[in-house]
Amino acid sequence: MSVTADRGAGAVISLFGLVLYFGVIPNFVEAVDDGWVLPATIPNAVAIVLIVCGILLILKPTTHRPQRMIEFQKAALYFGLLAFGLLAMSYLGFTYTAPVIALVLMLLIGERRPLWLILGVAVLPATIWFLVVYVLDRALP
Amino acid sequence: MVDLATILAGFADAFTLWNLAFVLFGVVLGQFVGAVPGIGPVMAMAIAIPFTFGLDPLPAIAFLVGVNKGGLVGGAVPAVLMNTPGTPDAAATAMDGYPLARAGKPLKATKMALFSSVTGDTFSDIVLITVSAPLAILALRMGPVEIFALMIFAFSVLSGLIGNSLIKGIIAAALGLLCASIGSDPENYTPRLIFGYFELFDGLPLPSVAIGMLAISEILRRLSQIRGDMRGAIELHDTGNPDDRRVTWAEYWGCRFTMLRGAVIGTILGALPGIGSTAAAFMSYASAKTTSKEPETFGKGNLHGIAAAESANSAVVGSNLIPLLTLGIPGSVGAALIISAFMIHGIQPGPLLFQDQGRLIYGLFGAMIMANLLNLWVGQLGLRFWVKVVSAPESIIFASALLLCIVGVSMATGGIFGVAIMLIFAGLGYLMTSFGFSVVIFIIAFFLGPRFEISLSQSLALMNGDWSKLVNYPIALALLALSMVSLIWFLSRTQSDDLPPETSIEE
Repeated sequence: MSVTADRGAGAVISLFGLVLYFGVIPNFVEAVDDGWVLPATIPNAVAIVLIVCGILLILKPTTHRPQRMIEFQKAALYFGLLAFGLLAMSYLGFTYTAPVIALVLMLLIGERRPLWLILGVAVLPATIWFLVVYVLDRALP
Repeated sequence: MVDLATILAGFADAFTLWNLAFVLFGVVLGQFVGAVPGIGPVMAMAIAIPFTFGLDPLPAIAFLVGVNKGGLVGGAVPAVLMNTPGTPDAAATAMDGYPLARAGKPLKATKMALFSSVTGDTFSDIVLITVSAPLAILALRMGPVEIFALMIFAFSVLSGLIGNSLIKGIIAAALGLLCASIGSDPENYTPRLIFGYFELFDGLPLPSVAIGMLAISEILRRLSQIRGDMRGAIELHDTGNPDDRRVTWAEYWGCRFTMLRGAVIGTILGALPGIGSTAAAFMSYASAKTTSKEPETFGKGNLHGIAAAESANSAVVGSNLIPLLTLGIPGSVGAALIISAFMIHGIQPGPLLFQDQGRLIYGLFGAMIMANLLNLWVGQLGLRFWVKVVSAPESIIFASALLLCIVGVSMATGGIFGVAIMLIFAGLGYLMTSFGFSVVIFIIAFFLGPRFEISLSQSLALMNGDWSKLVNYPIALALLALSMVSLIWFLSRTQSDDLPPETSIEE
């Protein structure tokens, strides 16, 4: 039995289902004695489906190939940038953080043309600020 | 039955300058984002939903419908000019559109795509307007047991049809149901899986999940594929012949049967949950080629090829709303986003929609008719501009899309907590797409989750917890039997996986 992406995914899903059934649901769903559908009924059913389907996926995988590792790494880099940006935004606010996020993002993509960089760093956040604060009369994060 | 006064009042609500402006804005935005390879109407709709909060339901939903319809027209532009479909369903259009553009007739190709698209779309809208109300009356006769069985049937069909593996489809649906169960449970109102975050007591915020899974995960996927080279402007060749810049009436009329066939295929496939516009476009294209007297000219710039693909993929949009408006079950990701807009504006989709909100629904139909006319008008005027748009750099497109998503979700959920949830679901969506699990099924299961649990609870109450009483509900029994048959059929089907690893959410 060769290790394929589907078999790996199936193992992770089965494991997740087991953790859900034996660990998470008993601790984070209140036990109720009365009612046709208990609070834990649907989560338990889902956990069982995940365990069974995860095993089935291990036994009957498709030939699906995920992206190359470099693409996962790049996606993780952009995800990290966004996570860090959001953390900074929660302290400093959108006005100071958005131009920096836009700049780093555009540089990472490979943009080096000054006009487009200025557009992304200055004009874009300013337009969003104007749209949200003045046109929609709402607060920015 | 909806009375005539409600129907007329609905259309009267729609045909106002205010609504016209929103539909126009939606169509322009849709054509714009459709023309930019990498965004597409689904992502644009996901981003736009939070910005419609301050609007009344009708202009808000009409705007989103405009984006959806405009996106299909815009998607054909890069398909024809660059052989890079702006939307997956435009891939079939590229097969004849691109050779025609290379032969010096780019405007003829894009205009044929526009006319066929509007023709197919209008056909399916007429079907939607005429059949949805009678179907909703039939749906009203269904009780909780039948609704529960119908949802089981919908999950089994969606799991089998979307994606390339039934097992993966079921896993995606199960994960969607699990996420829908976060928050208070509908029967006892006790907190469930909230992990101490009382912000989750009302469940996961819909905009965070939808935008994270559909927009941000797709942006992450696109960003990870960029290799650092900025796209250059395209070069168009012109033969100098005025006839090569337009579609003559004779050429349009010559394609009438191809467009009609495409519209019928698109309408039928669109009404069935799970079969997307891409399948409709390719099926119509294959059908046109098979019945053509000159099949060898297909793939070399035959106008019938463009007409077949575009009429079919656009016809899906209208009929996609049939299961949504009659049963409350979204059949595609576009319909799932429209359902989320309904819910955000306090409207519960389903069979009662025509009874409770008949005026709004006929207003929506009016807006759809306006969107078709505006699609034609904006397309005619804007084609030359969209040709420029296809060369816009991805750096500015993705930076603006990300910032708009952050701001939109923050406005919709009232703070940065919702944005953090959006980011978590973006990561989940990215991983699911990467490993071939359908985020479309996840989203549909997430939307239907609370209704699923409530109808299960009501069904058990009606049957006094005794499943053998199902025999008293023949429709439910038939639907459950159909679910079993379809599950067995999908499971026994040879599971081929020809999709490339770059499979996007819209495929």
